[in-house]
Amino acid sequence: MRTGTFLGFVAPSVLSMLLLIAVPLVGVVYLALYQSHVKTEMVEVRTKVPLFGGLSRDQVSYVPQAVLDEDGRPIRVWDYVGMQNLAKASEIDELGRILTKPRDEASLPDMIDSMYRDITNLDFWSAFEFTMIYVVATTPLMLAVGFLLALAVNRATEQLKGSLIFVSLLPMIVTPVVSSLAVYWLFLDNAIVATVLRELGLGRIYFLKDAVTIRILIIAYGVWYAAPFAFIILYAGLQTVPKESLEAARVDGATRWQAIRLVTIPHLMPLFAVVVLIHLMDAYRVFEPILVFNSRVFASSLQYLVYIAMSFEDNIHRAAAYAVLTVIGIVILLTPVLISTWREQRSTP
Amino acid sequence: MSASDRLPLWLKSLNTAGLGIWLFVAMFPFLWMFLISFRLPVDAFSVPPQLFAPFTLRNFYGVWVTDGFWRYAVNTGVVTVFSVVISLAIACPAAYALSRYRGSLGFWLLVAALIFRAMPHVVLLTAYRPAFFSLGIWSRYETLIIVLTAINQPFTIWMMRSFFMNIPKELDEAALIDGCSRFQAFRLAIMPVMWPGVVTAALFAFLLSYNDFLISSQLMNGEMQTMTAALGNYMGQAKHLDKLMLGIAGAVSVTIPVIILIYLFQKQIVAGMTAGAVKG
Repeated sequence: MRTGTFLGFVAPSVLSMLLLIAVPLVGVVYLALYQSHVKTEMVEVRTKVPLFGGLSRDQVSYVPQAVLDEDGRPIRVWDYVGMQNLAKASEIDELGRILTKPRDEASLPDMIDSMYRDITNLDFWSAFEFTMIYVVATTPLMLAVGFLLALAVNRATEQLKGSLIFVSLLPMIVTPVVSSLAVYWLFLDNAIVATVLRELGLGRIYFLKDAVTIRILIIAYGVWYAAPFAFIILYAGLQTVPKESLEAARVDGATRWQAIRLVTIPHLMPLFAVVVLIHLMDAYRVFEPILVFNSRVFASSLQYLVYIAMSFEDNIHRAAAYAVLTVIGIVILLTPVLISTWREQRSTP
Repeated sequence: MSASDRLPLWLKSLNTAGLGIWLFVAMFPFLWMFLISFRLPVDAFSVPPQLFAPFTLRNFYGVWVTDGFWRYAVNTGVVTVFSVVISLAIACPAAYALSRYRGSLGFWLLVAALIFRAMPHVVLLTAYRPAFFSLGIWSRYETLIIVLTAINQPFTIWMMRSFFMNIPKELDEAALIDGCSRFQAFRLAIMPVMWPGVVTAALFAFLLSYNDFLISSQLMNGEMQTMTAALGNYMGQAKHLDKLMLGIAGAVSVTIPVIILIYLFQKQIVAGMTAGAVKG
């Protein structure tokens, strides 16, 4: 296919991505470098204040009022502020203060612990902390659960496989807000899980009001949500493992586990890499469970942080600064993976 | 598997038990949500929890009729149908070209699409907000449709490209030799055999639009909200059981179409997920 024809075919799709993904990305950087406010002027307001006997007196006061343009819309003034928004959003100053603050804890671990607690009290760093915990914790767990499921379903009877796949697709495909809500409703203080646990004599557990339980709950949700994806991909991969190699390994005296470790897993390696890559992207933007579980105090995330700054604080420049930091984060996270897949692509023609 | 590879009994039981536990864990949140959506608040959150309780459609009546959920359902219908159609219309030729073009431009376009796919949506939203406000196109069908279409593109072209790769090149080359232009070859020779791939891509484009909460809830307000975004109205209502029950009924209503879709198109969904990954 000639380059001209190629460009013609991809033009509409590329144009839509440029206009609504690439340009907004540039726009976010722009927003992060500026501050804006509505231009105001002091307007003289005269009011008649009644005195007595029908007499009145003019009272003059000055109130700020938005300056309007010809269309009657308030004029916004934009000031270039450089890195100021970004420095504020990343809380560089506070971070420096925490790191240099003299600490009187006795031992080194205690010192690090108190420093860590100070850092994770900052808005951005607490969101960053839990996002990273979520990414790091869910990735191996979803791989393990997905792989075990793939092995198990592979051994299930043929008639059962269809229904097993159907049910496994539910957590992944049902609207994430709904699946988060469904899990959230199970763990409310007066809902089934807490009630059953209490009936069993395990005491009263307030899942949503404790940092540890709510974090475990969100990570468990993340694994429950992502494992089916790993399962489907790895299950499809299992069908392509050459039976002869497996049988040869068994004949040579390998145990079942050794056959899996030495034949199956190496064969599925490229698929593990794909699953990890896609899961990293999705886990990094964890949002729905944080919103639904209302866990901001105990567990926040970067995407949630931008969302709050944008829609509740209505501070577009602060939100843009957080957004830029978020994008830098995802680029750092993905670069090693992208480079290694690129190398693989080149080495295998 | 050969006869020598039978699992010993203990491993077989472990396998069955594991699958049983997974089935329960995967289904239970949805099952319980369905079950309590047909109950009065007292029965839904009773101590101890009951398996059977009086049946009522009160919650569904409340959310669909009193709260006007049907309006949001209509919005969802309009937005998803148009965004799926436009998504596919522009992704099909792009994915076809990417599967046939050999230059490095194609590779870089795919890498760019992958990076775009990784962008958290809230980042884009931060830029949309001031831009759409000043353009005066806030809270309109067209705006949300176009935004969702663009956001669907990276995923859709990646998936469709791998479907097009499976269609032999000889097919369009023959058409070219017969005097077709590239576009005619694409339309007359390739598209007719591409329908299974198109159905799969349409399913995923639908799910991406239908499941979206973040963008829809921010770009549309009031009566223009989509069904998924409207669930936000019922969040954080743990203290008001009546309102909470309406939310549960709403969530069940959002889930039903998805479950029907998985039931009908399970094969296509699995094919779509594995297309990019397994075939490379």
